[in-house]
Amino acid sequence: MSPGTRRLAQLGSLAALAGLWETAVRLDWVDSLFVAAPSAVARAILLIAPEAGRLLGETLGKTVLAYALSVGLGIGLGLVIGAVRHLYDVLNPFLVALYALPKILVLPWILLIFGLGTPPAVVYGTLHGFFPICLLVIGGVRDIDRIPVLVARSMGATTWQVYWKVILPAVLPAVLAGMRLGIIFCLLGVLVVEMFGGIRGTGFLLTTLANAFQPAELFAATALVSFLSVAVVLALEGLNRRLSHWR
Amino acid sequence: MRVLAWRAAVLVGLLGAWELWAGRQDPLLYIPPSKIVPALGRLLALETYPSLPEHLGLTVVEVLVAYGLAVALGLGLGFLLGLPRHLGEIYEPILSGLYAIPSVVWYPSLMLFFGLGPASKIAFGFLLGFFPVVLAVLAGIRSVDRHLLTVARALGAGPGACFVKVVLPGMTATLLAGLRAGLALTLVGVLVGEVLGARAGLGYLINYAYGLLRTADYAALAALALVLVVLIDGAAAVVEARARRWTG
Amino acid sequence: MSLPPIEVRDLSKRWVTRDGSVPALEGISLTVAAHEFLTVLGPSGCGKSTLLSIIGGLVRPDAGEVRIGGEPTDGPDPRKVAMVFQDPGLFPWRTALENVEFGLELQGVSAARRREIARGLLGPVGLRGFEKRYPRELSGGMKQRVAIARALALDSPILLMDEPFGALDEQTRLLMGEWLLGIWTATRKTVVFVTHSLQEAIVLSQRIVVMTARPGRIKASFEVGLPSPRDLASAEATVLRGRLWAEIREESRRAFEVEP
Repeated sequence: MSPGTRRLAQLGSLAALAGLWETAVRLDWVDSLFVAAPSAVARAILLIAPEAGRLLGETLGKTVLAYALSVGLGIGLGLVIGAVRHLYDVLNPFLVALYALPKILVLPWILLIFGLGTPPAVVYGTLHGFFPICLLVIGGVRDIDRIPVLVARSMGATTWQVYWKVILPAVLPAVLAGMRLGIIFCLLGVLVVEMFGGIRGTGFLLTTLANAFQPAELFAATALVSFLSVAVVLALEGLNRRLSHWR
Repeated sequence: MRVLAWRAAVLVGLLGAWELWAGRQDPLLYIPPSKIVPALGRLLALETYPSLPEHLGLTVVEVLVAYGLAVALGLGLGFLLGLPRHLGEIYEPILSGLYAIPSVVWYPSLMLFFGLGPASKIAFGFLLGFFPVVLAVLAGIRSVDRHLLTVARALGAGPGACFVKVVLPGMTATLLAGLRAGLALTLVGVLVGEVLGARAGLGYLINYAYGLLRTADYAALAALALVLVVLIDGAAAVVEARARRWTG
Repeated sequence: MSLPPIEVRDLSKRWVTRDGSVPALEGISLTVAAHEFLTVLGPSGCGKSTLLSIIGGLVRPDAGEVRIGGEPTDGPDPRKVAMVFQDPGLFPWRTALENVEFGLELQGVSAARRREIARGLLGPVGLRGFEKRYPRELSGGMKQRVAIARALALDSPILLMDEPFGALDEQTRLLMGEWLLGIWTATRKTVVFVTHSLQEAIVLSQRIVVMTARPGRIKASFEVGLPSPRDLASAEATVLRGRLWAEIREESRRAFEVEP
């Protein structure tokens, strides 16, 4: 099947779904108090765009801070723990266990310690984003093929050169995979904090609209933040492709 | 053996540091472990919240229903899209693409539609658990060696026999991993849903205790939730290992 | 039965690819006599595997027909034709024994009887004691022997083999060839054996058919009138080998130079 046909089938299916949804609301198959038709949502997007845009900006700002911390800590610790056998043996199970832990359980604690506002959002976002990045980097480091390293050493490369020219390019795909996953997790964390703590931002906007029974605006805001998220991930994927074309 | 000793040392070290530091600062906010243990005792004795079993029961039921739905619909949709030749190609990118959206953005819409009761938690848990299952079915079907299907046909297998005797055993490992991931995510989804807005359930109690600043009780509840998570995932791991062995 | 077990008449097949269609076989006609060991020899890509797949009922031809025992083929029929491929294709989740039983399971043979038959086959292939092993625990040669036992379990009069020893190292190949001859002598099956090895063709078969490069046609047919056991060093074998090489060399070169 050619990519063109596939694209057509995908768009066709989505259009059909949208059509069905629109019909369902128009014909009152679903209560319009809870569900808004695509046409209403589209209108609402234009309506709320300015305000939503501002709030998305707030959320994004916190996310970027959390992301920077997650990436810094995640890559830094990931490289070290992955490289040092002893550290890996001792610490990896802890990391895996903490990753699997539902972080929502510590959210109240974080709010107690950091109060409301940006700090808890950044901390919680970092908490969410750190683990996948760290674990993926650790995996990448441990997966490194020894042979190119030996070859480089045998050609007289210094330790620094080995790191820069052999190990770093080999770890890069794992690092990029971690970074792609990390941004979604950071954003997720920030949104959860905004929802739970009533902190200014997209999360709070969503819960407010839900409580006010404004489905069109709510779906619109949900759509906007979804588009943003997909756009960010696609951008990162583009970057990934550019940087690892040798694969 | 030495590794275990180191791990124990790290654990003890962290707990100790936590204890000391919390004691130094405000113990109400920082909740040292020494406060959590007695709170946990009171909690389990049903002194703090006599209705704890009901809340816990509700959470477990929500998880089971949500997971049941996720598995049923995930397997159904997965096989529906994965077995015919081209459907998977068309729809899998869409499903994977939805993964890029932080799942929690759907929750307010679910709360609007289903209300604050268990239904919204079940819906959210279902949503979270559904994707790993579908994607695992699609990946599993793809992972089956085509040559094995040729061999089976040459030995006289019709489409039904090919499915039952070649496709299903061939995809078991991938499928089980997906089912296990789905359970973990469903559990998280239900808990998050309860914490963010509910009238009952373990997550609700956590929110409730936190709201009243009964921090030690909150921590005890969180610890209980943690045990629940570990038990459920542990059980899933055992099932996965058992089934792995059985299909060689 | 006086009808020849395999009759191929005017077979043609094109493979449809993204950029058009590629001819695989063109006007192939062939008859295989009962109990005959026939080798199909040809360069890579000449369509020998396609030919075998069509005879086995796995692929439909575009033109022409195949008759097994006088009846046209319509899909795989394990009661008449068993197949062995270059990739043994053992089911990794089944033990060696369970693999051999597979075809019998499909035919509804009882569990006890299946086990008996399968055990009885693993012995002669030299794998007694390996019944409970999984494919990942077996070597390449062992896996292929299990695959052959699995095909033998069907007890079909015809056996089709598509470069079964192609993935094995040379020494194993030689041993497996000898062993296969033993099986053929004992079971008296009609065997169609595909290979690109001149040596294998000379050692194993009674008749050799040479195919051209793509699109595959039958170029020549040779009766191997050598006594068994075959001595590759003998004068007759050397002459035959020379004649075969002369036929096939040009085809091989054409296949070698074909565009990707």
